[in-house]
Amino acid sequence: MSSPSDVEAIGRSLAEPEAFGLIYDRHAATLLRFLGRRVGAKVAEGLLGELFRIAFERRKTFDASRTSALPWLYGIGSNLLLKHRRGEARRLRANARIVAGLEAADRRSSAAALDARVLFPRVASAIEALPDDERETLLLFAWEELSYQSVAEALELPIGTVRSRLNRARAHLRELLEPNGKRRDRSR
Amino acid sequence: MKPVDLARKLRREAAFEPAALDRGKEALMAAIRQEVEPARRPTIIPQLPYADIRAALSFLERAFGFREIPASRMEGADGVIHHSLVEFGDGVIGIGTQGAHGAVSPQRGGIESQYISVAVADVFAHYQRALAAGARIAKEPREHAGGYRSYEAFDPEGHRWRFVYQRLREVPAKA
Repeated sequence: MSSPSDVEAIGRSLAEPEAFGLIYDRHAATLLRFLGRRVGAKVAEGLLGELFRIAFERRKTFDASRTSALPWLYGIGSNLLLKHRRGEARRLRANARIVAGLEAADRRSSAAALDARVLFPRVASAIEALPDDERETLLLFAWEELSYQSVAEALELPIGTVRSRLNRARAHLRELLEPNGKRRDRSR
Repeated sequence: MKPVDLARKLRREAAFEPAALDRGKEALMAAIRQEVEPARRPTIIPQLPYADIRAALSFLERAFGFREIPASRMEGADGVIHHSLVEFGDGVIGIGTQGAHGAVSPQRGGIESQYISVAVADVFAHYQRALAAGARIAKEPREHAGGYRSYEAFDPEGHRWRFVYQRLREVPAKA
């Protein structure tokens, strides 16, 4: 016997609200990890509660042509994260220090190790400096490994816009990571 | 290394305690049960007078997301609504007739004698909804210290509503 699909469960929850519990059982862990990666476990737990309350309230508007509710839930989470930019930035910088340390330990030559220590904090600042829409698209794609289609569903965008946003994010990152690239632009 | 690969390098696994998921499930199911059996026995029910109750009920639903409790509606044989109750979360408000019980609609009286605060989960989303429904905004949304958010709007007869969100302070866990 197969369990009901997300669409069936949400449809059923309109008449029997408890049926929405299945959506939680199925996706809460993924979303808690997603939120935790961005703002840490403590804040993530509060956001997870908000996310599912909002999802439950908006369940009537869920597009029944979708195969999974997960991208929709990611989208609600992405919106909630916008109000936690500062915590996110802190976490990103902390991640950069950890990754730089790990990478530096991996690299034999001291020059390469130094590179890692310089590089990853720069990557963190570059991601932080991206416009909100590009950052969110990039992180859903690169960290959550969502397909273009899923990112499009999460952010309620046409798939072409997701592609162009990612390209803009790539270009921006490249520019921001170029030594002195950004400063040169600014001083002109 | 390509920019996306560099970004990917900064992804860290996020650990959480399994109990967090159980707590979340419990909170969600409690919220859902409340939806199924709303607490319709509040001890205090503010009563607001309107000249046009039918229009008020429609606006309050469209703009603010309030829900009429159908069984509470008192309607005359002529189809005129004399009184009804609307609910929102735990709260219930009476929508009554202008002039009855000595209560005057601001539209008639020219002043607001009170405003009502309503707790919502997402102030900005609520504001967008009210704006889209044509609500006149009295105070734009703003963020106060400590994560407290609010905005204020008028309904068509000039009653003032304040919508607020307040995150409860985290109680530090015992060491």
